[in-house]
Amino acid sequence: MISLIRKYGSVLRISLQQSIYYRASFLMDRARTITIVFAFYAFWSTLFQGRSQLAGYSISQMFTYVLGMNILRSLIFSDKTWEILREINTGRISYYLIRPISYIGYCSARDLADKIIHLFSAFLEVWIAVSLFNIPLYLPKSPVTLLAFLLSAVLAMILYFLMSYAVSALAFWTAESGGPRFCFELFLEFAAGAFFPLDVLPASLKSIFEFLPFASLLYFPLNIFLERASPAALLSGFLNQILWIAILSFVTRSLWKRGLKAYCSEGG
Amino acid sequence: MKKYTLVWWKLAEMSFLMQCANRWSSLGWLGGKIVRFVFFFIFLTAIFRHVPNVAGYSLTQVTFFYLTFNIVDILAQLFFRGIYMIGRDIREGDMDFYLIQPVHPLFRISSNLIDFLDFLTLIPVLVLTGMVLPKILGALNFPELTLRLILYGLLCANGVTIAFSIHVLIASLTVRTQQMESTVWLYRDVASLGRFPSDVYSELFRAILTFVFPIAVMVSFPSKALLGILSWDKVALAFFLSSILLALSLGSWKSALKHYCSVSS
Repeated sequence: MISLIRKYGSVLRISLQQSIYYRASFLMDRARTITIVFAFYAFWSTLFQGRSQLAGYSISQMFTYVLGMNILRSLIFSDKTWEILREINTGRISYYLIRPISYIGYCSARDLADKIIHLFSAFLEVWIAVSLFNIPLYLPKSPVTLLAFLLSAVLAMILYFLMSYAVSALAFWTAESGGPRFCFELFLEFAAGAFFPLDVLPASLKSIFEFLPFASLLYFPLNIFLERASPAALLSGFLNQILWIAILSFVTRSLWKRGLKAYCSEGG
Repeated sequence: MKKYTLVWWKLAEMSFLMQCANRWSSLGWLGGKIVRFVFFFIFLTAIFRHVPNVAGYSLTQVTFFYLTFNIVDILAQLFFRGIYMIGRDIREGDMDFYLIQPVHPLFRISSNLIDFLDFLTLIPVLVLTGMVLPKILGALNFPELTLRLILYGLLCANGVTIAFSIHVLIASLTVRTQQMESTVWLYRDVASLGRFPSDVYSELFRAILTFVFPIAVMVSFPSKALLGILSWDKVALAFFLSSILLALSLGSWKSALKHYCSVSS
């Protein structure tokens, strides 16, 4: 156990150092995220002029959604899975396969480093934004809400990890997986509520996204935090997350098993 | 001019063949672009289920702003996509190769990747614009209609010029530093603020989006001109700003080339 912690701890430490080393790239990444958050903050501010409620959200709930989205995106969507495509297609993954290390474990440690850095920055940005613009925030009244939120965020992280790895496995069969991956990411961000709360959408479209695993990634945890989910919605939301984690665990595991058999180390 | 057309056509043909060869990947990229376009469109229409107007604009008008943003943005990507690759070109030595070719290096770099997928996404955008235009223009008399359409076209071209200038500034920065090519993605995100009418933003940010990062001039001014709500002094300002920016970007490119030290050779 100690050797495992030391092994993957080293990957985590090196990945953290790498992220900090490429400062310009990192700062640019954060500037991009801030731009998107700012656009939506400005947009919702305009829409809320002369209104106290919109799509069932109070002004503080909407701003908390927009800023909370920035934090949750950093926690859930920050990863290095694009690297996996490159590593498979260039044959670089062979270096890891022949070493006494689990590739998935290695990637998880690498992803964790990315999440730590981005999460820390996201908190800092939100704090600056709230202080500068005096943004009203909605804070949960009950500590149980916070616990439920944390649990749903952890489940969302596992769910995204599985989805992301399943899509990355496509690279075992084709060198053309970059395009499908791009399409998947864009669809996922919209359907997860990463740009706006799904309640804005027509009910039919919202129900489809809630049935699929996407809404469980951001929309569901944020709704828990905003205390908008009824006990029944909470139960069905958690069941949905667990069900999709079970399905995707099976799918991802099978895809990687088959993928590794199909892998022929091109370029490696 | 003939030489440049010929080179552009040849490069376009090569890009097209490359995209056809990687058809699954191309389909994915195309799918992503369509998903982004359709979802924002759905979002805009869905918003109007909850509010009667956005910053005083109706659904048709907001849609028109969004479509104009797409026209300018897609045209810029179609013609200047190659600049996105300049960092790689420098690192891999291709930049040296472009500099010795008998065409302007900026033209060669910009045309390096002509994205036909952007051309395909432009078609539905133009069709939708054609459908929205009659609703926007209403029953205008012929001279007024012609004037607004000409002004719209000119301001869109002006927007593409601004986009070109910003791309050149980023290319210059990359040549100087060899690591700032990700700035282009920041530009893309800042440009995405133009999806909504600039009036959505506070006065201070509107000023920033006009004078510092002239995204409002690039994508909002053409729509405002067509709606007949852009004053003549703002029209003059749009052309003045783009001229200044173009001169500045070409100057910075020349200066950056003097500092180029062929890293990979």
